[in-house]
Amino acid sequence: MRARLLLTSTLVLGLGLGLTGWVLDRSFTASVVAGAQEQLKLLIYSLLGAAEEDGPRLRFPSAPLEPRLQQPGSGLYATVTDVSGTVIWQSRSLRLADTSTNGFTEALADGLIVPGSFQFRQIDDQFEMFYRVIWETEGDQTFTFRVIADQAPFRAAIESFRRELMLGLAAVVAALMGAQVLAIAWGLRPVAEMAARVEAVEEGSRERMGEDYPPELAGLARNIDRFIDHEVSSRERYRRAMDDLAHSLKTPLAVLRNALTAARFEDLKLLREQLDRMESTVAHQLSRAMAARPVVLAGRTAPANVAQRLVKALQTAYMTKNVTVELAIPAELLVRCDERDLMEMLGNLLENAFKYCTSQIAVAAESGATVRLTIDDDGLGVPVELRLQLLARGARGDTVEPGHGIGLAVVAELASSYGGALSIETSPLGGARVILELPGAPLAKSAAS
Amino acid sequence: MRVLVIEDDAGLRAQLIENLKAAGYAVDAAADGDEGVYFGREYDYDAAVIDLGLPKQDGISVIKALRGLGRSLPILILTARAHWQDKVAGLEAGADDYLTKPFHMEELQARLNALVRRAAGHASPVISVGPFVLDTARKQARIDDAPIELTAFEYRVLEYLVLNSTRVVSKTELTDHLYEQDFDRDSNVIEVFIGRLRRKLDPDGGLNPIRTVRGQGYRFSLDAPG
Repeated sequence: MRARLLLTSTLVLGLGLGLTGWVLDRSFTASVVAGAQEQLKLLIYSLLGAAEEDGPRLRFPSAPLEPRLQQPGSGLYATVTDVSGTVIWQSRSLRLADTSTNGFTEALADGLIVPGSFQFRQIDDQFEMFYRVIWETEGDQTFTFRVIADQAPFRAAIESFRRELMLGLAAVVAALMGAQVLAIAWGLRPVAEMAARVEAVEEGSRERMGEDYPPELAGLARNIDRFIDHEVSSRERYRRAMDDLAHSLKTPLAVLRNALTAARFEDLKLLREQLDRMESTVAHQLSRAMAARPVVLAGRTAPANVAQRLVKALQTAYMTKNVTVELAIPAELLVRCDERDLMEMLGNLLENAFKYCTSQIAVAAESGATVRLTIDDDGLGVPVELRLQLLARGARGDTVEPGHGIGLAVVAELASSYGGALSIETSPLGGARVILELPGAPLAKSAAS
Repeated sequence: MRVLVIEDDAGLRAQLIENLKAAGYAVDAAADGDEGVYFGREYDYDAAVIDLGLPKQDGISVIKALRGLGRSLPILILTARAHWQDKVAGLEAGADDYLTKPFHMEELQARLNALVRRAAGHASPVISVGPFVLDTARKQARIDDAPIELTAFEYRVLEYLVLNSTRVVSKTELTDHLYEQDFDRDSNVIEVFIGRLRRKLDPDGGLNPIRTVRGQGYRFSLDAPG
């Protein structure tokens, strides 16, 4: 946008100033030529005044009329020719120069030179002025006065004018462009601010775009806010739909299963197995559907708080097991993840730890662009060959043990929807070490929001 | 042991009642949150099984209401929504354990037994008092490793007395905790069961584990009478 504005304004500026320069140049050149014409005309007048009749010829005083006419090669020359075209006088300055003909004869022959009028022309590098006069003496002789001036000094004047014009215009262009850049930057500042806020919303350090925009952008900001609300509410709707689905599926499953428990037929064992498969498939698919979407507008959550709540809750549920939990997550650490989803992930991982540990669990965190949460237990651990299988994304529900694998596969799926990862290693405590990696949320942004 | 079940699904509720009764519990059942809170306020239960997704008043607010009434009974929550948010909210509201639907009835019974035991201060399912051993998981009593033949109701009376052996249990309390709310109470029945229990536990009459505290009730104790 900035580039577009700059480009168009530069084009307009260039075109306008270019045109101005061209017009100025043209008029200056024209005035220089007119000046030269005037100068040459005056010179012819002074020659006419100085000429003295001498029979059929004209005589000029030897005293200089104009110093440059006397100096050879000075750039200013004069000749007088009679009717036949024979040069009857030429200025001393012409002695070394070769400008005597130079199309002059042709001009005469063409009848270009009319008696009593000045003729001006530019030939090669020279200005020439002719004046034909009929000398009213005996025999009415016709003489043609011709003065020639080198264009070089005029050219030089034009060149120097052009140079200054260029410099001046360039300075104007630079000044205007600078002003333009500033004006654009100032004019576009609300847009830049808006872009920064969109980014903040995306990062989760802001929830909404806010109100304080110029009228041109207020509408857009409102629309973005509406979109955000829509996103949030549709996510909420999606979740509710999933919950309802889960509820409506799971309760009848529970009823069926318990009815089977009461039955005594051996064949029903098979049915029960099938029910188990259905159940774990439903659970797995539901969780997968929840996790499969990439999350665009993630909030920011403190894992320390979530882990603490979970550990407290699990301590209640596993009261008889007497588990010692060492929680070492910095309170100010934030991850880019919705609280609900983080609770889901840590809940599954911590529940596994409570379930499979002997008596000890350690939770730690490493901050950075990616936050690394590690959960250690002192249980039996997970055999190496099972590790990848437990984490396999899209693993079919019925290939995974309920309560054990599903949880981990779901956590892996959820983590990857946030651009994170889950892995299993061996803990220094002797059991399993589960590592959950999630994108971190920079702390500095929280102050801005 | 008397249990309150609050579950809105009629099918599951019926199964819960049936299974818990078979396991030796006296069961009252409510179909919505309001009814559940009413039962919880009116009667003294030994445990409650509460579904989180209830009509009128959800499980969380039922738990809060019961705790607000000063009820310290162990609470097991059932949830179809396997979300941790719900489990944590339930446990934070005052529940003691959770179970995700669908579940195995055996699992529910095991959890409930553990909760009731825990509430009485016993971590292990096997409680020993002198030569007497009460196996709450198998619903069995032994003396010097010899099983004592007890009927289901006799076992329930004994279990209640053993789990509450730190204090005197009145006849009314026994009736309240061993019978459902609409049962026709007759305290003589309790006296009959106590008499039978004494004969089975202590045929020689040397230990007298079930003491009568005059005017107050009974207490399970092996201490020298003082």
